[in-house]
Amino acid sequence: MKYYILSAFILLCGINSYSQSSFILTYPIGFPMGDLHDYSKKTSWRGINMEFLGHAKPGVAVGLETGWNVFYEKVGKQPYKSGTTTVTGVTYRYTNAVPILVESKWYPTEEKKKANPYVGLGVGTLFASRSTDFGLYRITNEAWQFCIKPEVGVLFSIEPGLKAMVGVKYYGAFNTDDLDGQNFLSINVGFVFSSL
Amino acid sequence: MTTSLRYLLLACLLPLLWSCYPKGAEYTDELDLVYTNYASDFNFTALKTYSIPDSVVKITGDVISDPDGDGKPSFLPSSSGKVILDQIKTNMSNYGWTLVDKRQNPDATILVSSMTTTNIYYYYDWWYWGWYYPGYYPGWGWYYPGYYPPYVTGYRSGSIFMQFIDNTSKPWGADNAPVKWVCILNGLAEGGTSDIAARTQINIDQAYTQSPYLKH
Repeated sequence: MKYYILSAFILLCGINSYSQSSFILTYPIGFPMGDLHDYSKKTSWRGINMEFLGHAKPGVAVGLETGWNVFYEKVGKQPYKSGTTTVTGVTYRYTNAVPILVESKWYPTEEKKKANPYVGLGVGTLFASRSTDFGLYRITNEAWQFCIKPEVGVLFSIEPGLKAMVGVKYYGAFNTDDLDGQNFLSINVGFVFSSL
Repeated sequence: MTTSLRYLLLACLLPLLWSCYPKGAEYTDELDLVYTNYASDFNFTALKTYSIPDSVVKITGDVISDPDGDGKPSFLPSSSGKVILDQIKTNMSNYGWTLVDKRQNPDATILVSSMTTTNIYYYYDWWYWGWYYPGYYPGWGWYYPGYYPPYVTGYRSGSIFMQFIDNTSKPWGADNAPVKWVCILNGLAEGGTSDIAARTQINIDQAYTQSPYLKH
């Protein structure tokens, strides 16, 4: 998995150097919601997020987003019942969520001030891989889910071509046969590198 | 800010990628499982007495082999078997069952067996050899072009299998002995003898805790 993301990172950096565009690299803190929260309640402190944006017109950008959020929780020894069957053990629950989205962002103040708000909307897919380690066994479910991602945030100008940012994203994924929608809220902090 | 500083900023964020793998189990007891299942239409409390053999059978395959020709299977060492059998007897007593000799027509019999399996894996962590190949960092793996390698390394897993046999329905039909309750304790068969014994006792207790229908 890490190689796919590293490759995407290198690709996006390459594209960035040849166009009037921005590359956003952020650290996401993920809060599981819905079915994901039922499975794993802990906040995710593991992940990375990358976006490549081209400026379509003043105040509007379009581009691509990908990333990696890892949700993990160890649930202590407890019994699980199904019919007449009971199994007791410790479970280690892992969910890897990789969004791949096309997105658009709107900057109402056109980035003219020191701090500039923005809103965004992304549409695409969320690859979700859920693995449960139970004793010596692993149960894995994987799904590609349709995903919509609204986003709000603020950019802080540091110097020409460099901004800091903080944003809130909600990844709303839809149910598939293999897995219910894996929804989560993400607070992202990082930097925006723009070509001059 | 210079370009090199920007790259440094990027380089500082990239290590986030390598910290994405969380830890798993750290201790052997965290890999233990206790499985129970039972016949829901059977009234366990109608039975009062039970017997249990004084040895734990080692099952080595689905067809018995008798290499020493004594007409008996292999057994766990008596010290290991005693730990298991004593814990079962304690729990049965706590649940109101009376232990009798098999010649006294017990209502039920508990048969206890064990199995161990050596699990081997070909794709152990590259990191074990990363020190020998400078420049090839954690995350690399193994590639066997077109063939499967010999055993590389492995671990032993073990199971203790308990079967509760209903003797009151004799004569049994269809050449089958009726198993009304079953329990499997599964985990790593690694560690010291005392550690395995302690884990086994805890897991036998758990098997009875999660089987309240056995209680009188």
